[in-house]
Amino acid sequence: MNVAMPDLTVDRVTVRFGGLVAVDDVSLHAPAGTITGLIGPNGAGKTTTFNACTGLVSASSGSVRLGEESLNHRGPATRASRGLGRTFQRMELFDSMTVKENVALGPESLFSSRHPWGQLFSPRRETRNIEERARAAMELCEIAELSRRIAGDLSTGQRRLVELARAVASPFRFLLLDEPSSGLDVHETERFGEILVAFVAETGMGILLVEHDMSLVSSVCSTIYVLDFGRLIFYGSTAETLASDVVQAAYLGSEGTGGDHAHVAGSAHA
Amino acid sequence: MWGVPSVNDLGPVIVTGISDGAVYAICALGLVLTYKTSGVFNFAHGAVAAASAYVFYQFRDRDHMPWGLAAVLALLVVGVIGGLLLERMSYALAEAPTVMRVVATVGLLVGLDSLLTAIYGASTIAFKNFLPQSPTRVGGVNIAASDFITLALAIVATVGLYLFFKRSRLGVAMQAVVDDPDLLSMQGISPVVVRRLAWTIGSCFASVSGMLLAPEIGINVSYLILLIIVAYGAAAIGLFSNLPLTFAGGIIIGVGINVLGQELSGSHSIAILSLAPNLPFLVLFAVMLFVPSRLLIEQGVRRVRRLRPMPTFKPQTVGVSMAGFALLAIIVPLVAPAYDINDYTAGLAFAVLFMSLALLTWTSGQISLCQMAFAAVGASTFGHALAAGFPWLLALLVAGLIAMPMGALVAIPAIRLSGIYLAIATFGFGILVERLFFTSFLMFGNQYAIRTPRPHLLGLNLTGDKGYYYVTLSLTALCCVLVLLVRRSRLGRLLRGLADSPTALAAHGANTTITRVFVFCISAFLAGIGGALLAGVTQSGSEATYDFSVSLAMIAVLAFCWRLPILSPFIAAFLYQVLQVYPFFRDATVLKYDGVAFGILAIGVAVWPGLGSIRSSGRAQERDQRGSPVLARSAPVHREKVLT
Repeated sequence: MNVAMPDLTVDRVTVRFGGLVAVDDVSLHAPAGTITGLIGPNGAGKTTTFNACTGLVSASSGSVRLGEESLNHRGPATRASRGLGRTFQRMELFDSMTVKENVALGPESLFSSRHPWGQLFSPRRETRNIEERARAAMELCEIAELSRRIAGDLSTGQRRLVELARAVASPFRFLLLDEPSSGLDVHETERFGEILVAFVAETGMGILLVEHDMSLVSSVCSTIYVLDFGRLIFYGSTAETLASDVVQAAYLGSEGTGGDHAHVAGSAHA
Repeated sequence: MWGVPSVNDLGPVIVTGISDGAVYAICALGLVLTYKTSGVFNFAHGAVAAASAYVFYQFRDRDHMPWGLAAVLALLVVGVIGGLLLERMSYALAEAPTVMRVVATVGLLVGLDSLLTAIYGASTIAFKNFLPQSPTRVGGVNIAASDFITLALAIVATVGLYLFFKRSRLGVAMQAVVDDPDLLSMQGISPVVVRRLAWTIGSCFASVSGMLLAPEIGINVSYLILLIIVAYGAAAIGLFSNLPLTFAGGIIIGVGINVLGQELSGSHSIAILSLAPNLPFLVLFAVMLFVPSRLLIEQGVRRVRRLRPMPTFKPQTVGVSMAGFALLAIIVPLVAPAYDINDYTAGLAFAVLFMSLALLTWTSGQISLCQMAFAAVGASTFGHALAAGFPWLLALLVAGLIAMPMGALVAIPAIRLSGIYLAIATFGFGILVERLFFTSFLMFGNQYAIRTPRPHLLGLNLTGDKGYYYVTLSLTALCCVLVLLVRRSRLGRLLRGLADSPTALAAHGANTTITRVFVFCISAFLAGIGGALLAGVTQSGSEATYDFSVSLAMIAVLAFCWRLPILSPFIAAFLYQVLQVYPFFRDATVLKYDGVAFGILAIGVAVWPGLGSIRSSGRAQERDQRGSPVLARSAPVHREKVLT
């Protein structure tokens, strides 16, 4: 571990779109140095929770803290510059650029906001730093051989790795990964999990992981939070979560889970 | 026509305003309808209205048909057949990026404008009233029968469309087709039928408004297009989606123009006098500046695919090509006839203007339809600076620098909005600057022109055509270097990132607001320099040179010249400005129809993925792979699989 990394704390966050409550009073705590899972069926509010954390949508109430610092009322760029990075469920790559340019533009974006004229001039020291970070991130994510390829021409699985490498290359202090294994085959997913574990062990950084692939979640996450219909319905260790009737019911869509919400969410908050 | 002024009060003026506003409302309703249902904002809506007026004129006045039959035929030809053709175009644009949607409809506008002018000439054709004019006295005000008819038409259209959208299954389907036509067809409703209906109704509305406006202002394609643009203001009040508000917007603007015109008519200030006719553009720009961006939802972007990246070339290839190109440019004045040199010089100035546009559009993904407004500011500042005794090169630099704050001003809507709304904002801004400031003392003055003499530099007399050509060539080369430096700098990488994914750029900490301000300022600087160099060709900057229609033609031409930062602007400038020096292209017929060719080529590039504009991006693949979230949520089998 190089430097002390912060925890991410989401405290009673609610997000409304007009009359629709997309995220309802959700709290979670993702410690540094671990991978925390956030799971739930499609439409459960996982990505909206990420968007509220990173400032892409405004939370109606609640707070988001990175370590001791509140990120409330700050835009996406400011939250990123405070150290909160993310990947996207619908990948947001720079499609016309090469893989190397994509990965390098991650840290370069962050450096560009450090002083008013940072977008016009890049000091040589920063340029070397960016190149080194990009090289290391591509090696970690095993995409170095793709460095000259145009990102828009890659397969979905390769694009996922490029997006991860870009986030890893940036000097973030906490990462939110939104379905990073989508599009990867079984072998790639397994390897992807190993990369994540190694990265966390090396940097001490915390990761909050939204993922549908339960084999990946169960192999890398220490704690799992479960959302359904925008509400937190369960949290616990991986084994507890997989064994939970409430979680099974939510995923299988059976009747009667709604009545348990208050009880389980209440225990989650406790 | 619309009202019969009688007593000294506002009554007749308001009646006239309501009647005018009803026509704007009809036009705006058609515009909003087609945008809502296809995601394609039709910049050629006014040209469709103008085409209808000309066809009406052709059948009624030239072919001597009864006006009713002529109107029905005009509606059939322009409204129905034109609407069906536009539906085909919008279908082809369904997954095109916003810039290509703009290129296609602007191309159509340029093409139709040129075609109608080529056939019927540029001068205004007088057009007799066709609706009954007999006045009825209501509350002390005489109201012509035609006013009642127009207003009734607008009310019926608004109520009918509102009920159609709210109550009918097809109306609801119309709103859904823009986002997911496949899902719509699964519900047993043909997306093709829905789209055809929307475009036919929209074009018929444009057609009716064109016919109603013709008697008031005569038949002139430029006037009709400009007047229909007034409807943009009404559409802006309706936030480009709300039909009753759009109707109200039309009436408010119609009444506002007439009442303000009456109230301010005593003023001696040209600026104040020009407020009334420019009210729609002020409203449009105010909406773009102040309405919360979450209320201006861009339609039809869920299925958008990305532009295909341009191929990259080896540095040696680029170097050799540029050296050859530079050599060619150097020897042009030595081999070309003396009377053609000014055309080549103007071509170089246009290359700088196209470079300013390419930097915005292709490098950073921002859309500007007001480049000639920046150029005009540059040209007029250049003239004023020379008149004030500034050295020539310093005056040129000042011309570029003064244009930069304007670029920053246009960057404000660019910061808040994106895509189509930025295009609309810049379109309105360009016209606003032209109409409010071009003839003011700040710019070209009431003589419509300003002197811009050529230079003596380093003891050399460069006032001759050859000398000025080499001055322009040198400065164009410097502009090329500036563009290349920007592209290779950190800012250049951020701009390319901005074009591909502003969300990712912001999520990695870049301040995209500053990025946008920078690129608009640099683009305005280049356009200001280009405008000043262009003014030097004739040694007199004339406001007509910087007409807003040139900005539209520029984006249409640039679209089919590839998307390279340096080469494309030179190709575009050659086609737009220099080609006419060659005998074949000097032919009167060719000159008359060049706009038609530009328009067709622009539409072709925009709608035809095979021409390299559009690619199936990784994002589209991902979407196809994931399927519909709606379906996924209702599929318990899928949930079971992911858990185990």
